Amino acid sequence: MLDSSLNELDYHALNAMLNLYDADGNIRFDADRMAARQYFLQHVNQNTVFFHSLDEKLGYLVAEGYYEEAVLDQYTKNFMREIWDAAYARKFRFPTFLGAFKYYTSYTLKTRDGQRYLERYEDRVVMTALALARGDEALAMSFMEEMLAGRFQPATPTFLNAGKQSRGELISCFLLRLEDNMESIGRGINSALQLSKRGGGVALLLTNIREHGAPIKGIENQSSGVIPVMKLLEDSFSYANQLGARQGAGAVYLNAHHPDIMRFLDTKRENADEKIRIKTLSLGVVIPDITFELAKKNADMYLFSPHDVEKIYGVPFSEIPVTEKYAEMVDDKRIRKSKVNAREFFQTIAEIQFESGYPYVMFEDTVNRMNPIDGRINMSNLCSEILQVNEASEFNHDLSYSHLGTDISCNLGSLNIARTMDGKDLGRTVGAAIRALTAVSELSAIDSVPSVRRGNDESHAIGLGQMNLHGFLAREHIHYGSPEGVEFTSVYFAAVAYHAIRTSCDLAQERKATFKGFEASGYASGTFFDKYTDRDWLPESERVQALFDGISLPTRDDWLALKADVMKHGMFNRNLQAVPPTGSISYINNSTSSIHPIVSKIEIRKEGKIGRVYYPAAFMNNENLEYYRDAYEIGAEALIDTYAAATEHVDQGLSLTLFFPADATTRDINRAQIYAWKKGIKTIYYVRLRQEALEGTEVQGCVSCTL
Amino acid sequence: MKDMTATRIPRAINWNRLEDDKDLEVWNRLTVNFWLPEKVPLSNDIQSWATLTGPEKQLTIRVFTGLTLLDTIQNTVGAPALMPDAITPHEEAVLTNIAFMEAVHARSYSSIFSTLCSTREIDEAFRWSEENPHLQAKAKAVLDTYAPGNDPLKRKIASVFLESFLFYSGFYLPMYWSSRAKLTNTADLIRLIIRDEAVHGYYIGYKFQRGYEQLDEARRQELKDYAFGLMFELYGIENQYTEELYDEIGLTEDVKVFLHYNANKALQNLGFEALFPPEVSEVNPAILAALSPDSENHDFFSGSGSSYVIGKAVATEDEDWDF
Repeated sequence: MLDSSLNELDYHALNAMLNLYDADGNIRFDADRMAARQYFLQHVNQNTVFFHSLDEKLGYLVAEGYYEEAVLDQYTKNFMREIWDAAYARKFRFPTFLGAFKYYTSYTLKTRDGQRYLERYEDRVVMTALALARGDEALAMSFMEEMLAGRFQPATPTFLNAGKQSRGELISCFLLRLEDNMESIGRGINSALQLSKRGGGVALLLTNIREHGAPIKGIENQSSGVIPVMKLLEDSFSYANQLGARQGAGAVYLNAHHPDIMRFLDTKRENADEKIRIKTLSLGVVIPDITFELAKKNADMYLFSPHDVEKIYGVPFSEIPVTEKYAEMVDDKRIRKSKVNAREFFQTIAEIQFESGYPYVMFEDTVNRMNPIDGRINMSNLCSEILQVNEASEFNHDLSYSHLGTDISCNLGSLNIARTMDGKDLGRTVGAAIRALTAVSELSAIDSVPSVRRGNDESHAIGLGQMNLHGFLAREHIHYGSPEGVEFTSVYFAAVAYHAIRTSCDLAQERKATFKGFEASGYASGTFFDKYTDRDWLPESERVQALFDGISLPTRDDWLALKADVMKHGMFNRNLQAVPPTGSISYINNSTSSIHPIVSKIEIRKEGKIGRVYYPAAFMNNENLEYYRDAYEIGAEALIDTYAAATEHVDQGLSLTLFFPADATTRDINRAQIYAWKKGIKTIYYVRLRQEALEGTEVQGCVSCTL
Repeated sequence: MKDMTATRIPRAINWNRLEDDKDLEVWNRLTVNFWLPEKVPLSNDIQSWATLTGPEKQLTIRVFTGLTLLDTIQNTVGAPALMPDAITPHEEAVLTNIAFMEAVHARSYSSIFSTLCSTREIDEAFRWSEENPHLQAKAKAVLDTYAPGNDPLKRKIASVFLESFLFYSGFYLPMYWSSRAKLTNTADLIRLIIRDEAVHGYYIGYKFQRGYEQLDEARRQELKDYAFGLMFELYGIENQYTEELYDEIGLTEDVKVFLHYNANKALQNLGFEALFPPEVSEVNPAILAALSPDSENHDFFSGSGSSYVIGKAVATEDEDWDF
């Protein structure tokens, strides 16, 4: 019903109509399409700077210092015309209002006063392709193709910044260790400021910092523990934002067996005192298997002073496999310890998750068991999908390094599963994506934090993610979490893993280099490949076979050949896959987020820069609504089953959010956590709740308010 | 003030003997919804506040002082005045919770002020609220009804009008800003208030309806006439108040439509039919959709959202740890 009255409404009102049923109880998708149209007519077109030709445009943007000249200088004028023509010939249109709105508010290049737009979507795609291809024309063309077809979407920092003259970093996120000394803490805060300024979230490891009441220089009761460090970090992150483009954001991780663990959790309590309340810093807890074993026995769990542990073992607490050393540490008189009931600990986590959505959880032993790389993983990042090994740094009194360790950075980008499947060539798409992400790693040198720079130089770690799983399954009339849905997920992710490793092996041959530590990895020994050479990872049901019709999948022989190549030539990237939550990029890419089920048929999206906007799930229409059951209806188990199938083939982690109705109890959350741990899930991201309006108080006719 | 002289035997409240299940349902809802303004990172709105024009800032501060006044009335007079009329002891308990949360609401506006404005601006706005004839008129109209010795059901009518109608000329503005990507954290806080007020208005209206059912036809007619009379009076004042506030930035017509919608909701809470026909009650979709706190998906870097609650703690059992 596109009646004339719709034309009079402004685009925000049209977009909001998505959240209100029409008189016949249908969702008004047409209103949202109209909103996107009106947004261009009423706003974008009027505020876009017009250029007569590509030459004029590029000339102006370089002369005015908007585009980086060095990026364009790598290509001939002819080629640039060719790639721009090819991009515009694709006639890209944003299918949703939020996609267009998000792109123009947050990504596109604007004049310095922020008033006028200098780029259209195609320009951003081409500039990103040119910057990442570093002069290789064929590669630039393939990056452009993959991005504009919606198959590959670089993460926000890359897509936002590539090719611009004054810009932040291309890297998405950083992970830093803190050690138990003031130099490391001070340096860590400085690094957090530096990295926030340049873009990307920062996570810090607190596990090694001595607890509240621990001695300093042998004098008892001196240390104030981890909370004041968290306060300092929180304020640092709110101070540093990237030219206002993105708020600084940080997370801190603490081992469950650190003596400050309960205080750490209480910082998120609703009635916490202002002095200890943590509002914007994200929390994560690292839980080893032993904690589960103790809870099963309904026993107490001992918490160990990191200061004493380090004195006795000669390595920081985070290097200790707590499960393995637990009994030994309990029996060691020299380690001061306290205890809490293990089940109460889990219940407290669930209570805090109810109130705040935090903490994230990392299952320490699962993560390390599945890690093919030599070394120990002791923390994750702001979105709980990065899982890499690190190495402690040591400092002189003037804060210079006496030993430069390694910290972690990660370059992310995601495939749109539906578009990738439509493209029928997983090898081509995954290959281009891995090369684009590797380029981000090679183009980055974070000199302000030398440990991150060293980590990146030695590992070339990247994280290829996935999104639009629910959208794809629903379009194909398969329910999320159904056996076919889980089977598809397993086959798809196995194939992606194959092509990712294959490309990284190609890169090692081209660059004549492997990541540092390759020789000690499960890739070099070949053990990593056992599970792919012992059995097939191919579709079994007819339904899933049909989905892969015309798509070639790796067989056991392919895996055997890959194994031989990798053992011979090595791999260029130490880490390859990580599945991020994909907020913003899934809107501009018209996808459902990550491999999550949708949170609502019409999602209400709220953030600082765009306000409150409404977003329809990808491929949804009034006829296929039954396949769009939301995360709260689908329930934790089906979600975990789907993630477990993907986790099997992802070398790093996956951001997994759990969803509960507000009348659930802490026990329900605990049971889901136990189930996730049992199924081999590596990390849990947020816990989210939905409260139904009390009968009689609901907003009538609202799509996102009804079940 | 409150009439506490009634000669009742003091009885301990027994939540295991409910006379009206609604009391427990609403009690549970209100307690899980407990919140304090400190949970919302209002300081994230400072940059956005700086983008508002002078008149927009003044309007916003004034709107919030107006809301502060209404919350203060409901906290110190309104909810306590309903207590002596309570039919069940549990209703009294619910009303004490309502009274307290109104104090939290009144307190939250001050948090917004102290985060975003200077002391001079705040003092000026409070002075404005004391001197504004329309604001004072609506406060007086409600307070008169709350006076001791007045009809208990009439008090409920006034209370529902305050909770479900009078607040909304003010609530409009933060919802409008948030739909324009401004002051989104402030809007989160206001949405928490709206979440509470919706339950308050609904509950008091529900109690009104239980009393109303017991009455004969003549008394019913009297109350209904009174309700519509009071609504007309308040509506008249609200119109003038709205014009004075919103004319300068040109939103008056839109706000008035919103008033119609909420007047109808208030009457519906009392069990009465709508006063305004649908044509004049079609709220701007951006505002209407912004009212729903449910299942909002926010990036956690810019806000805390309005959907977290205090959960029910239940210990795990051995069977849960079966692995």
